Amino acid sequence: MIKSPAELAEELHELPPSSAIDLRIQGDSYFDAIRGIVDIFAPKMNVDVIYITVAIPSHSIIDVLKILEIDLEHIYFVDCVSHIMIGATKKYDNVFYVESPTMLENIMLKVEYLMRKTEGRNSVIILDAINALGIHNNMRILSEFLHIMINNLRAKDAYSIVFTMDELGDTEEVHNMMKLVCDTTITIGGE
Amino acid sequence: MASEKNSSLERERCLTGIDGLDNILDGGIPRGNTILFTGSCGTGKTTLSLEFLVHGALAGENSLFISVTESSDKLTRNVIPYDFFEESLIKKGTLVFVDMPVVYERLGLTSVEFSLEDVDTLVRALGNLVDELSIKRLVIDSITSVCYRLKTEEKIREFILKIGKALSNRGCTSLLISEISPSADRYSLYGVEEAIADGIVLMGNLERRGDLLRTLQVVKMRGTTHSRAKYVLDLTPAGVLLVPLLKGGSG
Repeated sequence: MIKSPAELAEELHELPPSSAIDLRIQGDSYFDAIRGIVDIFAPKMNVDVIYITVAIPSHSIIDVLKILEIDLEHIYFVDCVSHIMIGATKKYDNVFYVESPTMLENIMLKVEYLMRKTEGRNSVIILDAINALGIHNNMRILSEFLHIMINNLRAKDAYSIVFTMDELGDTEEVHNMMKLVCDTTITIGGE
Repeated sequence: MASEKNSSLERERCLTGIDGLDNILDGGIPRGNTILFTGSCGTGKTTLSLEFLVHGALAGENSLFISVTESSDKLTRNVIPYDFFEESLIKKGTLVFVDMPVVYERLGLTSVEFSLEDVDTLVRALGNLVDELSIKRLVIDSITSVCYRLKTEEKIREFILKIGKALSNRGCTSLLISEISPSADRYSLYGVEEAIADGIVLMGNLERRGDLLRTLQVVKMRGTTHSRAKYVLDLTPAGVLLVPLLKGGSG
C-alpha cells in the first residue's frame, strides 16, 4: 500500500518504459496520486505528461496544479468532459478537447497528435479515470479502447497509468478488464 | 527464392506521407495508380489529398492540384496550417495549383456539354501539363464537377479511361475526388468512375449515438494487399491521423 506521492513516484520509477499501470486510488489520495506522477515521477524521468481528464474538467486540475506550484510546461490535457458541460470553459494552450467521452477514437487521436507534437521526448499518459469513462461507455467498447490504446502506447515506449477510483463505483468488471490490459496494479491510500 | 520472386514483382510505391494510410496500403499507393477518393461533404477529401501533395512536394516530387469548383487562392487560405508545410514549395513550383476553369477557357471549352472531341482535347492538355511540369502526383478536385459537363455515361467512361491511362503512362499517381451524397449506395455519382479507377478510398461521416466521426476505408486498391477495415480520422496540424474504428460501438 502506497501512502505518499514520493512513494508512488519511487514505485513507478522501478517500472520499465511501456509499462501499463492500474493505479487504484482509495480514500482521499487523489491529489497525492497526481502529485506523485506529475510533480515527482515525470520531471525525474524527463517525460511529458499527457493527462486525459474524464472525471473532472481540465481547468479544475490545472487550478489545483497551480496551487501546488507544479510547473505546467510539459503537461498537456485531453479534456473529455468540458464540452458536455453547460457554460463557457476557460481556454488554455495546453488543453485539447474531445467533444464527448463517448468519442473514444478521438481520445486516441488527440493522444497520438500530442505525442507527435512532442516528438523526441517520452511520455506518460494518465487516464483519469476508467470508472468515469465507464459511465458513458459499455464495457465491451471500453475494453477494446483500452486494449488498442495501451498497445499503441507500449509500441512508443510510453507509460500508461489508468486511474481506478473507489468513490466512482469500482466494479468487478472494471477490475477484470484492468487485469487484462495492465501489467501492474498499484494501490494508493486507504487503510 | 520465393521472397526474391515476390520482391521483383512488388510494384514501386508512392508514399502518401500519411502514416496510417501507408500502413493500411502496406507501404503506400502503387505508383501510377489512379484512385477515386470518394465521400460526402465535410469528410476530409480535399484536406487529405492536399496533404498527399504536400508530402510529395517535400520529397521532391512535383505535385499538381487541379481545382474545379473552388479557386485555388481560396483553397490555400482555408487549408489547415500544417506544421510541415513550407511556402517555398509553391514558390519553387514543386507544389502547383491550377484552376480548371482557366484550363477550359484556354482550350476554348466554353459549351455547357463537352463533346467526345472536347474530352480528347482536355485529356491531351492535362497530359501536356503533367509533362511540362514533370508532375508525379496529381489531384483533381473534383472529378464529379468535370463529369457534370460530360453528361453521358459513354463520355464519362471515355474521360476516366483516357485520363487514367495518360497519367499512369507518365508514372503519375493521381487522386480523383468524387462527391457523393451521404446516403449514396455507390462510390461515385455516375457509377462509372468507380469501375474504372485502380483504387477506391471511401470517406464518410459515421453517426454513433449522436457523435459524428470522420471515417476512411480502402475499398479497393490494385497492386497491393490492403486493409479493408474502417478507420476514424482527425485533421490536425500534424496531418491526417488515423485510428481503428472501435467495433464494440456498432452493436
